[in-house]
This record gives sequence, structure tokens and C-alpha cells, in this order.
Amino acid sequence: MVDILPLSSYPSYIDLLPAIQTCNITNLPENYFLKYYLYHALTWPQLSFVAVVRPRNGYKNGSVAGEYPKVVGYVLAKMEEEPTDGVQHGHITSLSVMRTHRRLGIAERLMRMSQRAMAECHRAQFVSLHVRVSNVAALHLYRDTLGFQVDSVESSYYADGEDAYAMRMDLSNMWLDWAEIERKDRERQASDEKDANEGDEVGEVGKKEDGKEQDKKVRVKVGRSLGVGDLVERNEAQASS
Amino acid sequence: MPQQLSSKDASLFRQVVRYYENKQYKKGIKAAEQILRKTPNHGDTLAMKALIMSNQGQQEEAFALAKEALKNDMKSHICWHVYGLLYRAEKNYEEAIKAYRFALRIEPESQPIQRDLALLQMQMRDYQGYIQSRTTMLQARPAFRQNWTALAIAHHLSGDLEEAEKVLTTYEETLKAPPPLSDMEHSEATLYKNMIIAESGNIEKALEHLESVGHRISDVLAVMEMKADYLLRLGKKEEAADAYTALLERNSENSLYYDGLIKTKDISRDDHKALKELYDSWADKYPRGDAPRRIPLDFLEGDDFKQAADAYLQRMLKKGVPSLFANIKLLYANLSKRDTVQELVEGYVSTPQSNGPADESAAKDHNNVLSSAYYFLAQHYNYHLSRDLSKALHNVEKAIELSPKAVEYQMTKARVWKHYGNLEKAAEEMEKARKMDEKDRHINSKAAKYQLRNNQNDKALDNMSKFTRNETVGGALGDLHEMQCVWYLTEDGEAYLRQRKLGLALKRFHALFNIFDVWQEDQFDFHSFSLRKGMIRAYVDMVRWEDRLREHPFYARIALSAIKAYLLLHDQPDLAYGPLPVTGGNEADEAERKKALKKAKKEQQRLEKAEAEKREAIRKAAANPKSTEGEVKKEDPDPLGNKLVQTQEPLKDALKFLTPLLEYCPNNIEAQCLGFEVHLRRGKYALALKCLAAAHSIDASNPTVHVQLLRFRQALNKLSEPLPPQVAEVVDSEFESLFPKSQNLGEWNTSFLSANKDSVPHKHAYLTCQQLLTPESKPETEKELTLTLDAAIVSLETALAGLDLLGEWGSNQAAKTAYAEKAGRKWPESNLFRLG
Repeated sequence: MVDILPLSSYPSYIDLLPAIQTCNITNLPENYFLKYYLYHALTWPQLSFVAVVRPRNGYKNGSVAGEYPKVVGYVLAKMEEEPTDGVQHGHITSLSVMRTHRRLGIAERLMRMSQRAMAECHRAQFVSLHVRVSNVAALHLYRDTLGFQVDSVESSYYADGEDAYAMRMDLSNMWLDWAEIERKDRERQASDEKDANEGDEVGEVGKKEDGKEQDKKVRVKVGRSLGVGDLVERNEAQASS
Repeated sequence: MPQQLSSKDASLFRQVVRYYENKQYKKGIKAAEQILRKTPNHGDTLAMKALIMSNQGQQEEAFALAKEALKNDMKSHICWHVYGLLYRAEKNYEEAIKAYRFALRIEPESQPIQRDLALLQMQMRDYQGYIQSRTTMLQARPAFRQNWTALAIAHHLSGDLEEAEKVLTTYEETLKAPPPLSDMEHSEATLYKNMIIAESGNIEKALEHLESVGHRISDVLAVMEMKADYLLRLGKKEEAADAYTALLERNSENSLYYDGLIKTKDISRDDHKALKELYDSWADKYPRGDAPRRIPLDFLEGDDFKQAADAYLQRMLKKGVPSLFANIKLLYANLSKRDTVQELVEGYVSTPQSNGPADESAAKDHNNVLSSAYYFLAQHYNYHLSRDLSKALHNVEKAIELSPKAVEYQMTKARVWKHYGNLEKAAEEMEKARKMDEKDRHINSKAAKYQLRNNQNDKALDNMSKFTRNETVGGALGDLHEMQCVWYLTEDGEAYLRQRKLGLALKRFHALFNIFDVWQEDQFDFHSFSLRKGMIRAYVDMVRWEDRLREHPFYARIALSAIKAYLLLHDQPDLAYGPLPVTGGNEADEAERKKALKKAKKEQQRLEKAEAEKREAIRKAAANPKSTEGEVKKEDPDPLGNKLVQTQEPLKDALKFLTPLLEYCPNNIEAQCLGFEVHLRRGKYALALKCLAAAHSIDASNPTVHVQLLRFRQALNKLSEPLPPQVAEVVDSEFESLFPKSQNLGEWNTSFLSANKDSVPHKHAYLTCQQLLTPESKPETEKELTLTLDAAIVSLETALAGLDLLGEWGSNQAAKTAYAEKAGRKWPESNLFRLG
């Protein structure tokens, strides 16, 4: 039978990534090197899920880690990093289920798990995705089963020239009630009003330097070699002093 | 005395740095050269020029220049820093660390150098050094949370959990009010602290901590999982039951949650009724779920099993779930369950539909169920525990008749032919399946795989190219490398190995080895990236996973195949020139051999020339060979692996694959056995024995181990010069305990046979030892080997291994033909026993 598991939160099954990559390149034309999977798993560890075949006698030590079960499906998801309209939203980078394991509702379950995590962890307003206009089965899943709506058609979205439906679905109904949590927090704080300060000094230093440091932060994209921007920064600082 | 720049040139120098930062390499070089015209020995400028050249792919020139820069200005931290960066680009981390340290000595306050050093220390797992660096960095900038977190990580990974927790707590105490709920970094750092507490073994404290902070954590699922886990470990069963129930309500398709829930309920493993009730309640709650219906089939027995299996099978057949058989076959280890399933599904197809179809749609439904059932039976009779290939073929034809468009059915037909041992036919049938749905990559991948199994490398690549980005350097194959398509490269390499085209086989295996290197290198950027993102738990898990990266089954498979290729190359050095036929040792053969060798060399040259021409044509056709980032993609100077295969030291090269294999997969018996083969041939008797002993402790009755014991004894007896005394002592005493000298070898071999008389592979091992013990009785031994084909239990794979055995024994063509003809009569559909 097939288990639906979180990828890299708790428990962490990050050792499934090579098998996920294999599942992807076996099924889909859009492929990525492992680092791109790592990038998802380490930036939004809560959002990706994986479907594996449970071994004959269950998992040794009650954990999937180190067992390398067969991966038959996955959803790789992210948050849009710099949304143009400023609205926090999630995005499905890739979803696939092995042809031999269809009609079990695996894709639907993977999607629902990911959507919920987007809403809870990141307060995503909506989730977006792209689907080939010819992919009837996927369209059925997104629109009829899950409730996505077609936002627009992006022409020649895919490398082979096929158009994509850009779809999205609202997630705000799954948000956590922060006001309630904050209310409880205040109650808690009122009840144990004992530890006040200590460590002030560190906090002070923090405030002073915070703004200054923020400006200096270097934007680094994964995949580029690092160390370079810093060297530059140093030289300039030296020159100006 | 280092040269100084005029103020104009100093500002130009800053411009060089900026060009470099913006990857405007050409402009950067130009500006640097402008400075150097006036001040030719300016160290920093030379260093910057070197750095830019390195990024343009001119590694060697860059190094020469960086050395010159250092010669001119030994006291420049920029020169040393660049020197370190160049080493780092070459992945020579030890030297890079040294250079950074020099730079840091000159400029102790430099944050960037300190940071680069720290990153490398992390990459090299120099935790003590990393702790030091991180402490310095924290002292310099204590306001940054990530500096605290980083120091905690350093302590945590070095094994000092207490200190790690303390560092995190110290930072937390500086927070006056709890950060906003949207602060993911805080949320993650809190969970990270909880993870450290739990790892220290104090689950009670971890639970307490989780309960006080959990409600503020945005990763809701993780908190629920951790809580359930802690409660169960602490034996707080009622609360744990609630926690697992909550998890199941979120995701009822995770068998681990059911396992947890059952543990909390004190239900005995044998209390099938109670277990079934528990699963039934979840099946009722989530009618569309699979897990609570499927899991009970694992433990139910007898009539209970039959009833539950009947319900399950009928339901899934109606839904037309193609993975039904994959889901059921795990039960077949229990033979009575296997028979029950067979009986049930045979019943579905043989019972005529009662009352006739009511209307058209009912007829269609019935039709679908019927074809699903035939499909199930086809897979059932194709499976090794219930194999009857003619029935499998019969059923799959029925299924195809009812649903001629079902790609899965056609795929199963191809699989049946594979099991018949007719790889050619299997590939043809899979190709038919591919053509039924040309837009689906899954079936395309399968078709290519079957072609590779049939040693049709070119055809397979042609199929693959329908989904690859063929404009990549190196075309479809280049894209498969770039996208790290491990399965394809492995199958491709193994197909070449079967064809004894060792150059190409090694080429693929080395490419795969490099992919693992890249995966290891991939972590580097995350040492800084993850600190900025604050997702620390996932980062720490990644670091730990990287440390055991090569225990992955993908690696083991690659390494085993590569080692086999090198062993073959060592035993038959002529294979360096191409796939030569095996010849005997006499003089006529020798002449034959020389002729074949000459022909092979010619063919190799022809292939090399053809490859070069092909590339030249591509080069001419391509307008712009550069990739978009301005880096020049270097062409592979050895696309056919001819340089790899012409190694003088195949065994030494094999160690590259073997050493990590033995380190990370020590329980893989095949790895230990191949380790023995490599070390024995290298004359490293202590190492060979170590592998043999390890294999023996994994499975003392393994057929290969049996043969290797005898071969090791014989090798020790035949040493051309005695082993050094210390080695001899260790080897003798250890081998004595494994395989006592006093033992009568003939008796030892016979008792092995009688202890394993129902296994043909063991019989093979016995015969091999007979052959080693009494080489003069070879014809009898060969005859006995041929007789193993009469055994009802012999599988096609084992029979094929028998044919290889004759090759190993150096048997003559007549013996091989006799064996192959007999096997061919036993498996008439197979094409594996056609001697070419």
C-alpha cells in the first residue's frame, strides 16, 4: 500500500529526494537537478509531500529514513518568493504520480496536504499552478476535485510550445486563527509574570545594528557561487575608510 | 615592497571588483589590464584578474596568475583570499582553508574571509574549527539571530547538545516579547531547540517544552507528529491515542499513524478482531481511503482473510485501480493467501454475469471489471511467486481484447515476454505500448528501459530524445547527464557492460559517480542560505543525510557494476580495445586472438573518428556554443571512454568505487564479495580476508562465499613468495577460525551440498569447488552442471548464470553448446541461450 509522508519537516525523509527526482524524470518532461529539489525541501520544508510503497513488513525501527522505499508520487511546492502584487501565495512546482499507481487518489491527497500547509505555515492567500491544456486528467483533478479555477491561458508556456492554464485556488479559509493564539499568549504571559529581563545588553546591541546590517545583506541565489559579493563588499568598505 | 595605485587607478580597481560582482567578466578583465599596464605588479589587481579568469573557466591560467599576485604581495589578504577561492573552485578544500587562514591572519577582523572559512569548515565537517569560527562571528555581530543559531548548529552537530541548547536559550532570553506569529525564523528556531532536547534523550522535557510553545508554531503538522511521538515514547497512552487520532484525521493514508495508534491501545498483534474493528472504523469514516481497508489483509487469516480480500478485490476492480496487483502481491509470501487471491479472481472471470446486462452502461461497467480482473490475473501469473507465463499471456490477451486502448495491459504483455527470457520481443511489445500514448513520458521511459535491457543503446536514446532538451551541449545524452537521470545512465552503462563495451560502460559509471559528487557538493550553498532562510531542522537533516549519501541503493548498484567492469578488464585486458570474443589458451587460439585484436583496434579507431566527425558537424551547425551564463561548456575529450578503459591499473581504479561502497553499504553481501575479488587480485590478502569474513558473517551459506573460501585457501597455498610475517600471522589466525586447515575439503564441499540441496545456485557453488579441487574431472563436472537444468526449481536467471559459469571454468565450446541447447529446449520462448 501507499503511504503519504511529509518530505523534510518532521519526520524528515530527505533521503527520498533522489527517488523523487527519478519519479519526476520518468513521468514528466520538466526536470530539475537535485539541487532544485533541495532548494524546495530546505526553503519550504513543510510544503512538499511524497507517496511511497510501504515495504512488506513495514518500516524497520518505525521510520522511513534509511529504508529507501519505492517512490510512486510526490508534490514539490513552494511559496512565491517575490509576488508582484505582494500577496503571499503558494505555487505547485511539480506534481506527479506513477502511471501504475493512478486512481488511488494519491495526487489529490498530496495536493490537499500541501495546500493546508501553505495556509497554516505561510498564510498563503491562494495556491497557483500551471497545467498543460491537453492534460485532461490533471485538469479534472484541479478543477473538479480540488476546486481550482482557470486564471488565464499562458501561451507557449511549455518548452514544446504547448499552452498552459494558469490556475489558482483560494486558501484563506484554512488560515490559523492568529488572534486567538495571541489572546491565549497574553493570558499565559499574565499568569507567569516572573522572568523579566537579563540579556538586555545583547538586545540593545541588536537594535543598534539591525538597520545597518539589513542594507548590507547580499542577495544570493542558489546555484551561484558564493563568497564573491562579500569580497566586493569588503573592498569597498576598505576603500571608503 | 608591494606596488601602490594612484587614486585614479584605485577607483578603477573598485570598478574591476564591481564588474566581477555583476559577472561582466570581459569588462573586468579589460579594466584590470588597464591598471596593470601602469602598475604591472599590483598584487590585488592580479588577484582579481585571476579570480575573473577562474570564473571564465580558465582555471590553470588563473592559478598561475594568483601565484604571481601572491609573489608580488604576500601580505595582501585579497591575494590570499582569492587564492583560497581558486582552490575552493577546484574543490581542494584543505588548501582553500589554509589560504583563508593566511588571509585571516593578515586581516583578522574580516567578516567575509571568516565567513568563507566557516563555510568550508562546515563542508569539511571540521566541527571544532566551525565552532571557533562561529564563536568569533557571533562576537562580532551578536545582534543577528542567525549567528546564534549557527553556533548552536555547530555545537549540535559536534555532539554537544547541552551547549547547543544553551546558545539557543541565551538568545531567546534576549527577546523581550514573543516575536509575531508570522516570524517563521523564530518558529523554526523554537522547534529546532525542541529537536535538540529530544535528541538528548530527555523526552519528558521535550514534551513539556513543546506543550509550552507548540501553539505558536506555524508548522502545525510537525508539532502534531512530534507530540504524538513523545507521548507514545513516554507511555502516556491515552493522550498519545488522541494525538495519533488527530494525525489520522489529517491524513488517513499514513500507515505509521495506525501503527502508533495501535501501540497506544494495547491491542495484541494476534487480536485480529480488535485490530480489524479499529481499521473498519477508519474505513467507515473515510470511505475513499485505501489504507484502513488494505492493512487488515496483512494480518487476517483463513476465512476472515478470504472475506476481506473478496470485498477489497471487488471494490478495487470496480474502480479499475491499476496498482491493485502491486498492492496485493506483498501478501504472497504467505502461500495460502496467494492461493486464496488466485481462486477469488479466477472466480470473478469465470462466473457469468447473472440476469444478463440490464442496460448499456451496466454492460460497460461489467466489461471494465472483467478486463481489470484479466489484467490482475495476467500480473498474478507473471509474478515470480505465482508464475505461469502461458496463463499470464492468455489473460493479458483477454484483457487487451476487452480494452484494446489500455496502455498498462500492453505493458504487462511486454513484461511477460521479459520473464520468458525474450528481451527482443519484450522490447518490441513495450514499443507498441509506447506508440499507444506517445505524449506520456512514463511509457516512453519504460520502452527505452526495455530497449536497454535488449542492449539497444542507440534505439533507447532515440526514444528518450523525444522528451529531452536536445539543444543541450551533448544533445539528448547531454541533457540526461545534466538532469542527473540516474536510472537511464545506469541501465545504459549496464547494457554496455553486458556487451563487453567496457569503455562506454565505464564512461557511464564514472558519470554517475560524478553525479553523487555533485549531490555532495550541492550542500555547500545551503550552509549560508539555510541560515538566512531560518529553516534549520531541514538543514540539519540535510547535513546528516549528506554524510550517508552513498548508502543509497542507486550508488550501490552503480559501484557494483563499475567494479565488475574493472574486474573483467583486469582479467581480459584485450577488452580495452573493444568487445572481443573469449578464446582458449592454445596456439591456434593465440593467432585467432591477435587477428581479433587487430580488428578490434581498427574498429575502435573508426568509432573514434566517427564520433569526432559527428561533433565537428554539430559544432559547425551550432551558431553559439556558449551557454547563456557566459561560461564555456567544455567538450568531453573522451566521449567513448577509451581513455578510461585503457587504464594501466584497472584494480586501482576500481577502488574509487569500492571504498565508499564498503564504507556505506557494509551489509551488502555482493559488495563484500566483489571487494574480495578486487583485493585478491591485488595481492592484498588481509583486505581480501576482511571482505570474506564480512560476507561470511552476513550469510555463511551464501554460494559465492562458499567458493571464495576455497579460492582463498588455494591462493594462500600458491603464494609465489610468503606474506610478510605480521600479515601472515593475522591472515592465518583469522582464516583458521573461518575455514580450518584441518578440514577435509571434499567432505566440506559435499556437506555444503547436502545442507542446501534444494537450491540450484548452491549446486553451482558446489560444482565450482569440485572443479577447483579436481580440475581433471572437468567433463563430469560440466555434465553435472547441465543436469541442474532438469531441476523443476531452476529459474531462468539461474540457468543463465550456469552458462556464465562454463565461461569462468574455461570450458570448451562443445560443453557450452550442450548446456545452451538443453536450456533452449527448456525455455523455448527465450532468446538468451542462443550462442552468438
